[in-house]
Amino acid sequence: MKTFKIGGVHPPENKLTEHIAIEVMPVPAELAISLNQHLGKPAKPLVKMGDEVRKGQLIGQADGFISANVHASTSGKVKAVKPHPHPGGQYAMTVFITPDGKDEWAEGMNTEPVDWKKFSREEIIQKIKDAGIVGMGGAGFPTNVKLSPPPDKSIDTIILNGAECEPFLTADHRLMVEYPKEVIAGLDIIASLFRGEAKSFIGIESNKQDAIDTLKKHAAASGIEVVSLKTKYPQGAEKQLINAITGRTIEEGELPFDKGCLVQNIGTAVAIYEAVCMNKPLIERVLTVSGMEIGQRKNIMARVGTTFKDLIAFCDNMSAKTNQIISGGPMMGKAIFSLDVPVVKTTSGILFLNNTALEKSKERTCIRCGKCVDVCPQGLGPWLLANVAQMREFDDIQLYGLANCTECGSCTFVCPSKRELVHWIKYAKALVNNRQKRKSA
Amino acid sequence: MISEAFIPAVSSLGAVALTLGVIIHYVSKKFHVEEDPMVTIVNDILPGVNCGACGYPSCGQFAEVLVDTKDSSMTCPVGGSDLAAKLGETLGITMAEPKPQIAVLLCQGDNDTAKETAEYLGIQDCWAATQAFVGPKQCRYSCVGLGSCIAYCDFNAMSLENGLVVIDKDLCTGCEACISACPTGVLVMQEKKAERYFIACNSHDKGAATKKACEAGCIACQKCVKVCEDNAIVIENFLARIVQEKCTACGKCIDVCPTKVNCIRLENDLKAVKQKKAS
Amino acid sequence: MESVNLKISYAPFVRSKDSIEAVMYNVALALAPATVMSVYLFGMNALIVNLVCILSCIAFEWLMDTIRKKPASCLDGSALVTGLLLALNVPSNLPVWMLVVGSFIAIAAAKHVFGGLGHNVFNPALVARVFLLVSFPAAMTSWPVPAPFSFDMNVDMPTAASPLGILKTDGLQALGSFNIMDGFYGTMNGSMGETSAIALLVGAAWLFYKRYITIYIPLTMIGSVFIFTGIFYLIDPTSYASPLFHMVTGGLILGAFFMATDMVTSPLSVRGQILFGLGCGLLTAIIRLWGGYPEGVSFAILIMNGFVPLLDGWDLADRKAKHQKKSETK
Repeated sequence: MKTFKIGGVHPPENKLTEHIAIEVMPVPAELAISLNQHLGKPAKPLVKMGDEVRKGQLIGQADGFISANVHASTSGKVKAVKPHPHPGGQYAMTVFITPDGKDEWAEGMNTEPVDWKKFSREEIIQKIKDAGIVGMGGAGFPTNVKLSPPPDKSIDTIILNGAECEPFLTADHRLMVEYPKEVIAGLDIIASLFRGEAKSFIGIESNKQDAIDTLKKHAAASGIEVVSLKTKYPQGAEKQLINAITGRTIEEGELPFDKGCLVQNIGTAVAIYEAVCMNKPLIERVLTVSGMEIGQRKNIMARVGTTFKDLIAFCDNMSAKTNQIISGGPMMGKAIFSLDVPVVKTTSGILFLNNTALEKSKERTCIRCGKCVDVCPQGLGPWLLANVAQMREFDDIQLYGLANCTECGSCTFVCPSKRELVHWIKYAKALVNNRQKRKSA
Repeated sequence: MISEAFIPAVSSLGAVALTLGVIIHYVSKKFHVEEDPMVTIVNDILPGVNCGACGYPSCGQFAEVLVDTKDSSMTCPVGGSDLAAKLGETLGITMAEPKPQIAVLLCQGDNDTAKETAEYLGIQDCWAATQAFVGPKQCRYSCVGLGSCIAYCDFNAMSLENGLVVIDKDLCTGCEACISACPTGVLVMQEKKAERYFIACNSHDKGAATKKACEAGCIACQKCVKVCEDNAIVIENFLARIVQEKCTACGKCIDVCPTKVNCIRLENDLKAVKQKKAS
Repeated sequence: MESVNLKISYAPFVRSKDSIEAVMYNVALALAPATVMSVYLFGMNALIVNLVCILSCIAFEWLMDTIRKKPASCLDGSALVTGLLLALNVPSNLPVWMLVVGSFIAIAAAKHVFGGLGHNVFNPALVARVFLLVSFPAAMTSWPVPAPFSFDMNVDMPTAASPLGILKTDGLQALGSFNIMDGFYGTMNGSMGETSAIALLVGAAWLFYKRYITIYIPLTMIGSVFIFTGIFYLIDPTSYASPLFHMVTGGLILGAFFMATDMVTSPLSVRGQILFGLGCGLLTAIIRLWGGYPEGVSFAILIMNGFVPLLDGWDLADRKAKHQKKSETK
C-alpha cells in the first residue's frame, strides 16, 4: 500500500462518527460571519448595520490577490459589523446577521445543475472566485488562485485529498460516501482546467474502505485513479500526499506546482461543483462534532457563521468535565477560548475533550532520545529547532530547516519529555519573521 | 633525601619550559597587533553593558569606530549627556547629545482590571502565547502579562506585578532591547521628560468593547479633550493621545477621567495617581 | 447551559503515553536479565553491589537536585539505570565505600556538573568505572570466579584475572583452552555485566522492540572489533586471539548495546551513529591489542562521547551548506 517515505505516527484514530450520516442543522437564531475566513487579507465589508441581505448575497469583497469573497449564509438583517473572536484564536471583523426565517436565495443563485462543459476555462475560474471558494481542508487558500498556477509551471497530476488523517474527523469521509457524484464532478471540473494533460487521483486512507469502494465505482467513467493509502498521520498533509501517490518530494521553498502537482480537498471539490453548475456560493460546510465530552456526536452540515454555542445546543450539550474545545483536529487544531466563535469555511471539526494530560504536561529537558527525528515527515531535527528557539538563538535557525516544518505535530506527539516542540517552532517562526520585518523597516 | 631521578627530571622539564617560554615571547612580539591606546581609554569610559542601543554589537566596537572616524553624531543612549560630554572632552570634539528616551508600557490592565479569556497553559512567553490565541487577557491590544520582555533588559529596570510589566524610570536607559520582545506593540519608546502625562492604553476598540474587556481602558469619552486648556489631547481611532509638545502637565485630565486609572505620570506611580483620584 | 472552564494550550492536544520515566524504567527492565544473571553467578555479593549502587545513585541525585535547587528527579529512573550500569561494570567483591565513591562520581561529577539529565557529554556510569579503575587498580582488576548460588557471605570467593587480563599480561598461550560458550553464557570471570552475553542480548532485544535504540551503533561497534581483530588473528593466530573471543569477553556486548547507545551521549543522525560505532569499535580493538589496559571499551566510548557534538553538527553543517547554496542560486 502506498505511503509517504519518511516519518509518521499513529495517534488513536477515534473515528467515532464514521458511520453517522450527515445531518443538516437548521439556521440558528443569529449568524456571525467572519470576514477573515481565508489566507491573506480579510474581505472588505459591503454591508452595514440595518441592511437587508438575501441568502448568498455578497457581503464581503475580496481585498487584493490573495483574498476571497464572503457571502451571507441566510436571508435577514445585518445587526452589526464589529470585531469578534475567531476560531483561529484572534479577533476578526464579523458581520452579524439576524435571520428573517425565509432563507431566500439571492437572484440567480442555486439554480438547477447545468452542464459545466459549456463554460470556458476563464469563466469557470471566475465562478469559483465569485463564489468565495477557499481550501476547506484547513488552510483556506483562495481556490481560484491555486487553480491558476504560473504559466511556466505545467501540471501533470491532480490529487483530491480524501486522506482525512486527523483523529476524530470524518466530514470528508461522509462526503465521499454520501455525495460521490458531486466529488467526481468537482474533480472533473478541476481536471478540465488543465486541458486533459493531467492524470487525476483521489487519495483515501485505508480506514475508509466504504469511501474507496464508492468512489472507485463512480470514478471508473472518468479515468480517475482512486488510491488506497496506508493509514498513517500525516498522510493528508499536501507534501506527504504527493510523495505517497507520485513519489515526488516537494523541497524546501517549493510549492506543489513546482513538481507538476495540484492538490485539493474533497469539500473544496464539492463546493467547486456547486459553484460552477448551480451558482451556489460557499455558505455552508460539513463538519464533525466529536470528542468524549459532547452529548451527541454528529457530522453536521452547518451554515458558515453558526456559533459554537448553537452547535453545542444542537448536539445535546457538553459535559461539565470539558476543559478544551478544539477547532479542527487534535493534532493541528486550535483551542478556543470563547463559545461565541463562529464556524468559518475552514472549520473541519469541533472536538470536546477532557484533556487530563494538561496538568502534567510540564516541559522537561530533552533527553536526546531521537524519537522526534524518527517521526518527522519532513526529515527535520525538531529537538534542535526547539532547543535553539528556547535559547532565543535566531541567527542560524532558518538554516536548520525551520521553514520546512509543516507543524504537523508528529514530533510533539511522541516526545517523552513532553516538550512543546511545535509551539517552540511556531514561536521561532514568528520571531524570525518579526526580525526580518524590523530589518527591512 | 633527593632521589636520583630528581635532577634529570627537573632539568629536562625546566629546559622544555624555558624553550616554550622563549617561543611564546617571540611569537607574541612578532604577531602583536597594534592597538590605539585611545580606544582603551574610550572603552573604559563607556558603560560596558554591550546592550546594542548605539547600533554596534559591543561597547568595544563603538569605541573603535568612534576613535577611528571621530564621528560626533555617534551617541550612547545609556550614558546620556554626561557621557557625551566626557567623550567629547577626551577626543577633543563636540559630541551630539543623545535624545533621552525611556521605555513605556501603554497598558494598565493588570489581573484585577483586565478580563481573562481562559487559563493559558502553553509556553509561558508573550510571543508564544499570541501564537496560540489572543492572550490571557480579552483585550487584543493589551500587555500579555507573561513578562518575556523582562529577560531582555540588561539594567534590571523591569518587573512583573500582578500580570502587568512595570518599568522603573530611574533604571531604564532607553536602550530599546525590550521593544522586540513585545508581540502586541504595547511597549514603546517615548522621550524622557522631567514630568509628563501619557495615556496608558493602546486599545483601538470602540468604547463599549474596550470597557467590556478591561476596566482600565480608554473609552474615548473625550472628557479629557474638553477639559484640556492647551488642546494637547487628540482622539485617534477610539483612543486618546496626549500631544507632548503642547502638554503643560497641569494634571486636569487625570481628575476628569472616568475609568479607574488612565493618564499617569512618567513615574509610573500607580499608587500616587490612584490616591490623587480617590481624594 | 453549564459554564465550563476552558484551558488554552497549543496543538497537538493528544500525546503518546511515553514519558522519561517510561523510557528509563524500560531500560532498567532491559538490564534486568543481566542483573539477575550476575546475582546467580556471583551470589550475595552481587546483590549487595547492586543495592548499594542503586541506592547511592538515587541518594546522590536527590542531593544534587537539592543543592542545585531543581525539582526532585531522583525517581525518574535515570539514577536507577546509572546504578544498574555501574554495578554491571565492577567486580562483585568491590568494597562498599568504593561503590559509593563511584556513584558520587557518576551522578555529581559526570552528570550534574554538566547540567543534569540530558546535558551530560560523557556516559556517567563509564566515567565512574574509569575513575575507579584508575584510582583503585588492584581492587578493580581482581575478578571473582563465578560460583552459582553462593549466598554465604562469609566465604571468600577465589579471584583471578579476567581472560582479557591474562591475554594482556601473559599472552595468548597462557589462556589455554578458553571455551567460547563460557563467555556466551557467563560462566567466565569478569565484571558482573561482562560475563553473560546471552542475558545482555535478551535485554537488548527488548530495547529494540521498544525502539529506544537503533541497530547502527551496536552493529558497527561490534562489527569493527570483529573485523579488526579478525585481520590480525588471520595474520598471526599464535599471538592474537580469535575475533569470537574478543566479542564475548570484556564489556563489548554490554558496551555496544547499553553504554554506547545511551541516548543522551550518542549522536542523533544515522551517519553520526555509524561513525560513532566505528570509532568506538576501532578504539576498543586498538587498546585491547596494543594499549596498556586489557580492556578498551570504556575508554573508547568515553573518547567517542567527546566527538558527539561534532558528529551532530556535521549533519547540520551539511544542511546549512545546502540551504546557503540554494539561496545563492535563487
